[in-house]
Amino acid sequence: MHHPMPNLRLLRLLSLGFLAACDRGAASKPSAAAESPGGTVVISTPAEPDNLMPPITTAQAGKQVEDLVYQHLADVGPALNTTGDAGFTPSLALRWDWAADSLSIAFHLDSSAHWHDGRAVRAPDVAFTFALYTDPKTASPAATQLTNVDSVTVRDSLTAVVWYKRRMPTQFFDVVMQMFILPSHLLATTDRSTLASSPLATQPVGSGPFRVVRWIPAQVLELAADTTGGRRRAQLDRVVFTNAPDPVTAFTRVAAGEADVFEAVRPDKVAEVAKNPQLRLIVAPSLEYSYLGFNLLDPVTGKPHPIFGDRNVRRALTMATDRRSIVANIFDTLAVQARGPFTSAQSVADSALKPLPYNVDSANALLTAAGWVRGPDSLRRRNGKVFGFSILVTSTSVARMRAAVLLQEQFRLVGADVKIDATDFGAWLSRSKARKYDTLVGQWGQDAGPSNVRDSWMSAGAGKDGNNYSDYRSTAFDAQVDSGLAASETRVMKAHFAAAWHIIAEDAPAIWLAEPRRVMAVQSRIEVTGIRPDAWWAGIARWQIPAAKRIARDLPAPVAAR
Amino acid sequence: MRTVIQRVLQGILVIAIVATATFVLVRLAPGDPFATALENSKLTPELRAQWRAAYGLDGNIGTQYVHWITALLRGDLGWSVSTGRPVSQLIAYALPNTLLLMGIALTISFALGMLLGAIQAARHNQIADHGIGVVTLIGGALPDFWLSLVVLLAGAYWWQLFPVGGASDPLLPIAASAGTVLLDRLNHLVLPVLTLVILIAAPVARQQRAALLDRLHAEWVRTATAKGVGPRTVFRRHAWRTALGPVVTLGGLALPALVGGAVFVEKVFAWPGMGDLAAGAIASRDYHLVVGCVMVGATMVVIGSTLADIVLQRLDPRSADAALDGARTSGG
Repeated sequence: MHHPMPNLRLLRLLSLGFLAACDRGAASKPSAAAESPGGTVVISTPAEPDNLMPPITTAQAGKQVEDLVYQHLADVGPALNTTGDAGFTPSLALRWDWAADSLSIAFHLDSSAHWHDGRAVRAPDVAFTFALYTDPKTASPAATQLTNVDSVTVRDSLTAVVWYKRRMPTQFFDVVMQMFILPSHLLATTDRSTLASSPLATQPVGSGPFRVVRWIPAQVLELAADTTGGRRRAQLDRVVFTNAPDPVTAFTRVAAGEADVFEAVRPDKVAEVAKNPQLRLIVAPSLEYSYLGFNLLDPVTGKPHPIFGDRNVRRALTMATDRRSIVANIFDTLAVQARGPFTSAQSVADSALKPLPYNVDSANALLTAAGWVRGPDSLRRRNGKVFGFSILVTSTSVARMRAAVLLQEQFRLVGADVKIDATDFGAWLSRSKARKYDTLVGQWGQDAGPSNVRDSWMSAGAGKDGNNYSDYRSTAFDAQVDSGLAASETRVMKAHFAAAWHIIAEDAPAIWLAEPRRVMAVQSRIEVTGIRPDAWWAGIARWQIPAAKRIARDLPAPVAAR
Repeated sequence: MRTVIQRVLQGILVIAIVATATFVLVRLAPGDPFATALENSKLTPELRAQWRAAYGLDGNIGTQYVHWITALLRGDLGWSVSTGRPVSQLIAYALPNTLLLMGIALTISFALGMLLGAIQAARHNQIADHGIGVVTLIGGALPDFWLSLVVLLAGAYWWQLFPVGGASDPLLPIAASAGTVLLDRLNHLVLPVLTLVILIAAPVARQQRAALLDRLHAEWVRTATAKGVGPRTVFRRHAWRTALGPVVTLGGLALPALVGGAVFVEKVFAWPGMGDLAAGAIASRDYHLVVGCVMVGATMVVIGSTLADIVLQRLDPRSADAALDGARTSGG
């Protein structure tokens, strides 16, 4: 079954070339000659930050701004390596020393680093930040990633030492990427249980390349380059986020030239961007994968699901699914097939993993062997009960709705009576958490690190309200992931994860469908660099607008230079 | 005075009932105000419970209601989960924008609608009547979301005459002069106002035309004509004035839109008003924000219907007598 799709084939070469560049972490090379700093980038976005207080921010829109306003001790590299410190680039810490036993790391801070109010950033700020993130009163989601840290001490004003409970491959990543260093002199007296209502939650004072000029809810959030310190300043003068809740409007702002960046171009708009000489299409890897999850429990009784409790039935439906055609129909070349509960850009990805093959004959044989026999109406039955189930899907996502329709058709070919149960995201989430569904089409966004899998597919996330919506429980899988997360050597960690991926692929609690690429529209006057799969915005401070290409809005703003 | 006090008390009761019903219904709907946060796999059940308690969303619905009422009596509408700001602050940002947009749109729509309706009635069964009739029929039948998109694409993308959306230019310097700010505001108002005028003026014109045609055939109009009163005076003083009733009623019903906004129009044009705020709150199950928006809307409905009654009484003394009779009856 085919849906009308935009003709994207002509973009394939362009996309592939660009993808290759992105995969190496460089979207486009800036001009050889260093440009004088200047220019404005206007980002049109349908979302708005929930707050700008890093320990409690959950919305991606908030993290985008925080990445520009605050600093990590170090930043993950373009290859997204999360083991050891290979590939990490200095940020607030210019260098770091590992203890011989790897149970502590001394971070040496940039002596010229300062907060946007002029105060110097010092090692006690690092110790304060750790205490704030891990204080139960703060209720930070990041605290769960910091449980392996025993303490942070101050060796001298520019050296903070992180002490670990045990060696782990991701111990460096966990500390440097989970915490934005915060100003202790402004937050020391703040009640940690009410950080969301702190003035800094809307007017943050960071040490990053940009400072917040103004934030008018639902309208504009303006950042200006911090020019007061000794650190190398951002190449841009301003970054302005403009809010348009309707994605069509947000995209139209860029297409009309009023804004410069739109981060999530829909497949049906790709051809329009390609035709517009003022715009450039940027296609980059992302850390998201979509899947069809089976509910392994009966939604009514809570006992094993009468259909999906049977591993062979799940394997049969997996083999009945032509994922290649589904991905091509929905995304054309703008996604790749997912192979498991991970994305290709993650360091624990296993490119050698072989998912169950697409084989309708084998699928039919497995279903018949499981007692589901075809009737004269082509539907399968067992003990008089029709082989029927529903697919829970969010009606607001075009891609997921299309996936549900295509899956319905492919399952019909093996004798299943499938109904599509479309609902809004709130209801979808509520029913997923309550396990009130048969199958669901979902999508998970990942961190660069491997720990997300713990809650989404391990027994730890099973049970009511857990994020393991399928309630998949496998002690063998859990053991491999736990061993991988605890391994001290990268090679060992990858071997454990490869074994875990093999186990879950064979158990088939889900059909992993696609890894959608990130498709952005950017005004062509902007030289983009440093697109990272986990954070396309991470390199904005290095984006450039050549002086010869600057337009009126690139001129310095009278108030931005204060 | 007694009638006024009665109306005020009735209004407070209506607002309280509407707010309570919304408070309950929004919690019964599937979904969760922490939906986005709950998608974060790092968020443990303990942290979720802590967050719920921090926002006063723990405990059963009765306990939450008591917390909410207690805070409300202190003038605290609660915190918005989805935006991390006080509900009162969000309403304070959005309300002026909606008042501006809807105030201008309603004023133009009613003036234009009444004018078109009057022209139609005066030129009954002539080309002008038929022409305007077709236009208003189409205008009244267009879906608001579709019309908004078409106006947006035509005015801002294809012809690039006006900005794509928003209430102001995001790059406008904070220190811009008042004149620059005013011009910028007007520039951003054109497309959403145009859309709303097309949508609202059409039914006003049709109401006005129907009411005028009814009055033009009334006995007192024939009498005035027979007495030799000029046709303009007959039309203006004897027919049009008495035909304002249905339009005033329509205006009273439209007044809540002053604060409720036009959800689709505000969304498409990225107008940061009450409609967009309420729609976003419902989508994200932001309980406190939903109830706050509904309370403001309910207050406006009460004020709007009261104002419409007062104006109707001024236009048609018979309705004043009826109100007086009602007051006498209910007052014993």
